Amino acid sequence: MAETQAPRVTYDFVTRAIARTLGHPGKGYFALLGLAVALLGVGIVCLLFLLRYGLGLAGYSHPVYWAVYITCFVFWVGIAHSGTLISAILFLFRSGWRTAVYRTAEAMTVFAVMTAGLFPLIHIGRQWYFYWLIPYPNERGLWPNFKSPLIWDEFAIGTYFTVSTVFLIMGLIPDIAAVRDVATGWRKKLYAITGLGWRGTNEQWRHYTRGYLYLAALATPLVLSVHSVVSWDFAMAIVPGWHATIFAPYFVAGAIYSGVAMVITLLVPIRKLFRLEELITGHHFENLAKLCLLTGMIVAYAYCTENFVAWFGGNPHERAAFYYRAFGPFWWASWTMYVCNAFLPQLLWFKQIRTNILALFVMSIFVNVGMWFERYVIIVVSLAGEPYERFANATYNPTWADWGIMAGSFGWFFMWFLLFVKNFPAVSISEVKEVLPAPRRAPHREGAVHA
Amino acid sequence: MDRRRFLKVVGVTSGGAAALSACGIGPEPTEQLIPYLVAPENQVPGTATWYATTCRECAAGCGLHAKVREGRVIKLEGNPESPINGGRLCSRGQAALQGLYDPDRVTEPMARGQSGEWQKLTWDEGIARLAAKIKDARGRGIVFVTGLETGSFGQLVDTWMREIGGRHVTYEPFAFEALREGNRLAFGTSAIPLYDFANAKYIVSFGADFMETWLSPVGYQNGFTRAHAFQAGRDASMARFVYVGPRLSLTGMSADEWIAAAPGTEGLMALAMAHVIASGRLAAVPADAARLRDLLAAHAPGTVADAVGVEARQIERLAREFAASKGGLAVAGGMTAQYPNGAEIVVAVNVLNYVAGQVGKTVRFGPNHALEGAGSFRQMADLVADMNAGRVPLLLVHGANPVHSLPGTFSQALGRVGYKVSFSSYLDETAAASDLVLPDLHPLEQWNDSQPRAGVYALQQPVMQPVLPGTMHTGDVLLRTTGKPGTFRDYVQTRWRELHGRLGRGLAFEDFWTDALQHGGIYRDPPPQAVRLSLELGKSAPGGAKPLLGWRPSPEEPLLVALPSIALHDGRGANKSWLQELPDPVSKITWHAWVEVHPETAAKWQVVSGDVVLLKSPFGAVRAPVWVSPGIRRGVLAVPIGQGHKAYGRYAKDRSFNAFELLGDVPTAYGGRAFTVSVAVARTGDHRRLATIEGDAREQGRGVIEVLPLERAERLKPGQHPFAEHGVPSYAERALEEWAEAQHKKASLGDYAGEHPRWAMAIDLTKCTGCSACVTACYAENNLATVGEELVVRRRQMSWMRIERYYTGGDHGRPVGAVVTPMLCQQCGNAPCEPVCPVYAAYHTPDGLNGQVYNRCVGTRYCANNCPYKVRYFNWHNFAEPGGEWESWPDPLNMLLNPDVTVREKGVMEKCTFCVQRIRAAQNRARLEDRNVQDGEITPACAQACPSEAIVFGDLHDTSSRVAQLARDPRGYHVLAGLNTKPAITYLARVVHGDVAETGPHG
Amino acid sequence: MTKGSGRAAVGAAVACLMTVPAAAQNGQPAAYQAPVISDTGKLAGPRQPLFFRHDVHAGQYQIPCLYCHATVAVSSAPGIPSMQTCFGCHQLVAGGKRPFGGGSTLSAARDSAARAAEAAEVRKVQAAWLGKKPSEWVRIHALPGFVRFPHMRHIKTLGTESCINCHGDVRAMSQVYQVATLKMGWCVTCHVQRQVSRDCTLCHY
Repeated sequence: MAETQAPRVTYDFVTRAIARTLGHPGKGYFALLGLAVALLGVGIVCLLFLLRYGLGLAGYSHPVYWAVYITCFVFWVGIAHSGTLISAILFLFRSGWRTAVYRTAEAMTVFAVMTAGLFPLIHIGRQWYFYWLIPYPNERGLWPNFKSPLIWDEFAIGTYFTVSTVFLIMGLIPDIAAVRDVATGWRKKLYAITGLGWRGTNEQWRHYTRGYLYLAALATPLVLSVHSVVSWDFAMAIVPGWHATIFAPYFVAGAIYSGVAMVITLLVPIRKLFRLEELITGHHFENLAKLCLLTGMIVAYAYCTENFVAWFGGNPHERAAFYYRAFGPFWWASWTMYVCNAFLPQLLWFKQIRTNILALFVMSIFVNVGMWFERYVIIVVSLAGEPYERFANATYNPTWADWGIMAGSFGWFFMWFLLFVKNFPAVSISEVKEVLPAPRRAPHREGAVHA
Repeated sequence: MDRRRFLKVVGVTSGGAAALSACGIGPEPTEQLIPYLVAPENQVPGTATWYATTCRECAAGCGLHAKVREGRVIKLEGNPESPINGGRLCSRGQAALQGLYDPDRVTEPMARGQSGEWQKLTWDEGIARLAAKIKDARGRGIVFVTGLETGSFGQLVDTWMREIGGRHVTYEPFAFEALREGNRLAFGTSAIPLYDFANAKYIVSFGADFMETWLSPVGYQNGFTRAHAFQAGRDASMARFVYVGPRLSLTGMSADEWIAAAPGTEGLMALAMAHVIASGRLAAVPADAARLRDLLAAHAPGTVADAVGVEARQIERLAREFAASKGGLAVAGGMTAQYPNGAEIVVAVNVLNYVAGQVGKTVRFGPNHALEGAGSFRQMADLVADMNAGRVPLLLVHGANPVHSLPGTFSQALGRVGYKVSFSSYLDETAAASDLVLPDLHPLEQWNDSQPRAGVYALQQPVMQPVLPGTMHTGDVLLRTTGKPGTFRDYVQTRWRELHGRLGRGLAFEDFWTDALQHGGIYRDPPPQAVRLSLELGKSAPGGAKPLLGWRPSPEEPLLVALPSIALHDGRGANKSWLQELPDPVSKITWHAWVEVHPETAAKWQVVSGDVVLLKSPFGAVRAPVWVSPGIRRGVLAVPIGQGHKAYGRYAKDRSFNAFELLGDVPTAYGGRAFTVSVAVARTGDHRRLATIEGDAREQGRGVIEVLPLERAERLKPGQHPFAEHGVPSYAERALEEWAEAQHKKASLGDYAGEHPRWAMAIDLTKCTGCSACVTACYAENNLATVGEELVVRRRQMSWMRIERYYTGGDHGRPVGAVVTPMLCQQCGNAPCEPVCPVYAAYHTPDGLNGQVYNRCVGTRYCANNCPYKVRYFNWHNFAEPGGEWESWPDPLNMLLNPDVTVREKGVMEKCTFCVQRIRAAQNRARLEDRNVQDGEITPACAQACPSEAIVFGDLHDTSSRVAQLARDPRGYHVLAGLNTKPAITYLARVVHGDVAETGPHG
Repeated sequence: MTKGSGRAAVGAAVACLMTVPAAAQNGQPAAYQAPVISDTGKLAGPRQPLFFRHDVHAGQYQIPCLYCHATVAVSSAPGIPSMQTCFGCHQLVAGGKRPFGGGSTLSAARDSAARAAEAAEVRKVQAAWLGKKPSEWVRIHALPGFVRFPHMRHIKTLGTESCINCHGDVRAMSQVYQVATLKMGWCVTCHVQRQVSRDCTLCHY
């Protein structure tokens, strides 16, 4: 992949370019961080109200017992997926272009899971008893119900968070070491500790690469398993519109789709902000766009299957549910989802679009919105549309409590992300160098790193 | 409530303490245990005591059993010994409890000060003031207005008024003047006979809503379902019921045929039927009916058909069927049909019964209804006139709220009255407008008696200490004012000594008295009273030989009918949150009034449900939200009575509009009040979301309600199952069997090993009328929270029992009808809610219930999503938080909480468990007596209350139990059986005469 | 007056008042003799408004639990005795005359002091009855509002002597204190040992 970087990109340049991203933050950065923290504050205030006065403050109705919070949960878990895909699976496939983008994706994964994990706790009626869902021995002899998909969820998310975090930290070690060597002040101390005494000796590199490989292999199945389990929260229920066998692959594809879109959404500004144009090039974006197109097509296929089966199956409840989706009071949500996720991405067939960063950025925003609405439609519209009992069906209107906490989740996510990119290398130094042509003469410092 | 006062009231035991702390999940604080000084006799802490008394919520006078725990009455049930209601009770009767514990009761005597503010008085002051006022006004026209009082209290007032030269006016807004006058015109007696629904074989109601407010709703509904229920192999086939009236009321929903005759022409139709019967000699027509020849001749079906808006053939058909049944019963004179010519309609219907030879058979004079003694609207109008003329220096009001039911005239006239005294327990409109309020005890705290029906001497005894020590029985007040010796209890007893003389049957008085107390009164069958056609009727009947067209509504303006509401009655129910939140059986709307509009009319006016329109009558104007319903005749509007209070406590005050404001205040020819008026309608452009629990008004063929034509039902043999799921492929069958096998294996470990009962229910949809008494019973038994209008609008109601009402027909010229079904937890054998709960809060009990452990629930609400019947309800807020925004039991309402049922906390899912507390109690009892639980020993609250005995509960594994037999009934089916949920509730298909009222596209 | 015949209950109550328990009647000292308590501060459990001594009543005089907690065998609530029940005996029994246990060889002075103290407590009871002021006991055994505990079924199965299983041996308690935790784990342990149902809706509904 050497041809992808401009000739002036050398080992030295890479180190400095990326070390520069850790330099003194500008006004823009603080503005963004402030915004994120403010949003988080809004979310926290709403949550406090929720705790005090009960879930009634949110827009729930009978029978719409899950709504925006679970929507956000699935949305954020979905976001998390591309990270592992790019860092682990593409690593195993030895696709060189991932090197420039995987760190961002991975960080996004960890923070997205951290965000998603909050929602199941927020949405339960007695939040202070959340630990009853965790199996622990007690004198009452009570255990959680391992038949319940919610318990599977808890394990899936837990595992995913652990593995992806370890994976991220592991990948960081050599880079931290690298920036440690150029850093000064408190940061030097920070990196000295977090660098775990990395010297870049052959010994360390051999162990490191071996370990990284195993970890990648370990993380890979999670990409498929986690969102499959999440999808079973719905597929295992008998709610028309949920109870479908395609849910697992459908959700996984959707997750990666939304995840890749989010990577693009994040990379474009970072690239600008940190002036990494040489490292993160149009070539990377095009590959991401291709990935987007692929998963987008799978999602579109899933939509078709869903509707076809609902019609072909002849089950009156299923039919009613999908008719309600398309033409009921929530038609706008459903069509937002169809347009943003199935129709717009078709533009990615054109190379001009794939290589136009701005177009991609706009596209990725659309996909993010579309994917959020996909979850909203699946959850809210299915529950409101056909609750079997015709007499019991009702509409649903979100309230400030729903929006507030959703906003808070974005604040929470971006706060962590911004802190990360300013304090740790957002682009992998060592791996970018791996794909660079060998230098004419071995410079003294990078020699160590290159080894 | 403040603990001290609670203790004062109940004298607490550890049981009582536990009862208090049962409010709210979570360990209770360490607290004091205050022992009784003297343990009250026959009270076992932790065990209920039952007292017999009488319901005073309406004139029917049903017998009550009051359930008392630790000195607090916590539930009201029907007294099985009472011939009036036979152990059943309507929502209104059960909600009397909330009247007792109403947080807005008047706590002590009050008088208006100079600047009009209320000043608290001691009773001595209060009584002194009353006595003084009486002294001044003596002989100058003192008037005492009371509700219908047929017992000691009424007598006391009468005698007293005679002494001081005053006058006693009994005022019932629903006094059925048309019915009484119609009977007088037809039979020369204004008595109201007993209508024997149970033995009728063909019932035609001309606007008599005998399931809502007509005379004795509980008893009549019970009788009706005995006649109208389908019972395989019963010799007499199910009675046919035809409802004639402009609106499909709750009563009408049970009809096999609804005829929306033009308002006011019901009489013509009845006479036409009589004509057919008499001219065709279809029945044993009494000889003296010959006098009616001219009258009937003038009402041949052909003549009246156009006016009525019904084809002559149809009228003839009905007449033939009516006569052929040899057990016809035609009823009229309901408040909904109290038109200006209401009496003529009743006369016509009497003629029909008489000509068919049914008077004396299904229409039995003798056990006459108490309402005969009620005053008439004319008397009230005269009183208003006197008041305006300043001829009333002192007005005393007890048990009536004329300012609400006569909003215009009476409240104005009140200004001209010298001094106004109210004996109301609540600060209702009339009390608020008076100068002195001497709060009465609640009927459940009083001694009193009444005679709801000839031969029935009902006793009222205090079932608990007065909730408010500052209140006093008005009877005692009067005695003290007049300086008579003794208490009102003694007064009642002296009357009963006379009664003892007549009915004692040689018992010592003490035994006679105790016996009466234990059984709620003395029940005797009065001799039948023979009636003949009055001599005038032939000659100078209303209208004589010319057609009965006393009145026709103006054709251009829509006619508005004011409906008595089953829950709020004339408005007296409006201060009870149970009744406010009880969905109206027809419209399913709670907490506010509405105006019913036919779809075509609505389309013409371009209004949809929720649009607010302005209704303008000659007497007043109100703003009403529209509810579009196919169950009303074109061009007719209907509004419910009972809302729109200006006072009367937090639950009643300022809720939508008062329908009485639209009605006229001029008495009709028969001295009654017309409940119809022509109105002008104008759109306001406003819109509101109705506080309804109705999702879809059409069943959409989901198989929730199955309907069978009678012919088919009769042909069904035992063992046949017309509703069994078909089209399941054999491999699926096999899979299901294997699955069931595996389930059984799994379900035989630990507590699940061995023999267990399988609690189950059978609900007969032919009997269920949708009256919703079961709903209120569930609220009372299971501490269900009322959530208020705003939350109902957002579908947050907590009612575990949902009466679903689906409309049928109406399209392609098919007749409009309605079907109803109670939807509660089906206690599935293979419950979708159970496996998804992450903490086993929803789990399967060994005895087959879908248990719900409130204190284990964390509130993921997954179970509710997965419940296909949508019968799980979530505590969105803390409804038990004292002083909280959503508090459902403001002090002292919390005293009616059932100590045997946990009050659920915020964030917890709750649901019906077949009253598991009653099941466990019965099991404990049986265990103490070393026996097994008998079939019929356990009755869930809903089944107990059901006036039509539609619900049967028992153990499915006991093949001899009633429920097991019903579960095998060919009419039986399971709702959504296709989901393989294996419900414990078997619904018995609704049987209808004639064609199936289609419920949807399904087969 | 009621569905269940009331007058029978009254009769029973009267009968109880007349018969002072057997053990108490024949005054010979029982095997166990409750100690003299000079300092109540040292005793476990909350201090009660009135120093009622289970060890004297149930221990020394062997008055059966059901004499005062009469409904425990028939109802879910054991019932706490009315002041009438106390006075039923204590209009005759002045107190302070019992044989002292705990190997007390007290000096005449201390002995009479102790007897005076006990008599004083009894006078409090009489005062409470005459002054119509029931004493407000501090509750010791309380279950959360969401637990139903049917006393009668436990008595039925385990017998009238089984109170100690949960309440400890109050016959030896000068002042009652909580012995068992009364937590769910504790209930379950017993249900497991005795192999009786552990179905949740046995206690929770």
